[in-house]
Amino acid sequence: MSIAQKIKVLIVDDQVTSRLLLGEALQTLGFKNITVAADGAQGLKIMQTQPHHLVISDFNMPNMDGLGFLEGVRKNPATQRAAFIMLTAQGDRELVKKAAALGANNVLAKPFTIEKMKAAIEAVFGAL
Amino acid sequence: MEARGKRVHVIQGEYQVTDDPDVVLSTILGSCVAACLRDPVAGVGGMNHFLLPGDGGQTGGGEVARYGVHLMELLINGLLKKGASRDRIEAKIIGGGKTIPGLSNVGEKNAIFAKSFLEDEGIMIVGTNVGGDHGRKLEYWPVSGRARQCILNGNEAERAVARERKPIPRAAPVAAPKDDIEFF
Repeated sequence: MSIAQKIKVLIVDDQVTSRLLLGEALQTLGFKNITVAADGAQGLKIMQTQPHHLVISDFNMPNMDGLGFLEGVRKNPATQRAAFIMLTAQGDRELVKKAAALGANNVLAKPFTIEKMKAAIEAVFGAL
Repeated sequence: MEARGKRVHVIQGEYQVTDDPDVVLSTILGSCVAACLRDPVAGVGGMNHFLLPGDGGQTGGGEVARYGVHLMELLINGLLKKGASRDRIEAKIIGGGKTIPGLSNVGEKNAIFAKSFLEDEGIMIVGTNVGGDHGRKLEYWPVSGRARQCILNGNEAERAVARERKPIPRAAPVAAPKDDIEFF
């Protein structure tokens, strides 16, 4: 079994289309276990009941944005070691700094290629 | 005839959002599509202008749609930032003509993409004018939601098509970081 098949991924984005596209892209990279959530609050709920190894979350979302979600994930001992990749539609240096301070593993500016996503995941988990 | 007011032109690959009732957003569309979105309660609206690159066959649907998805997301985020509420946003889809005879119908793909994107996101479509074998000059008043188009034929349509054949300047109007920051 490849590493990708073992990793449980949680995709958090308020846009249905973005979730679908990312899900498809991850499947082409070999990921099988993918869960989706529409905002940070929903993502946090899922993480509390079923912790995932890798979280890929949008920043700009209603209810709870990506930073609030990241903070929640890092505060909970059961989920704090999860890999967290933040996505942002606006290239914003301040956001990158804040995400880094809260313990994000990487921040990717949209639109990104599958290769960039793969590299960001491999930076945490090693070669897929 | 050109409409009075503050005119802002939206070129391919860009978007504009405003809450100024005097602003008229304008654009020239061949096979490109412009999504015109507004929140009538918050009094804010905007427009984007996108062309899905390629024919979708070689790079896969996901890769091709990224640019359209990105511009839709930037526009929706821009509206939300100015006080719009996602459940009140209404949309008009204009463009997607077949202006280059013999080529695959990119315009139709653009129009189908815009429609399915908005439906998937639960955004109400209140008007569409897509397809045909002509270009369009579009004017949109984002605050009132009024849209007006002028059909472009002959030389005008050719000029619009020539604009589209130019390389896409960049995927997004905002300055993206020069490189992604890797933390380890």
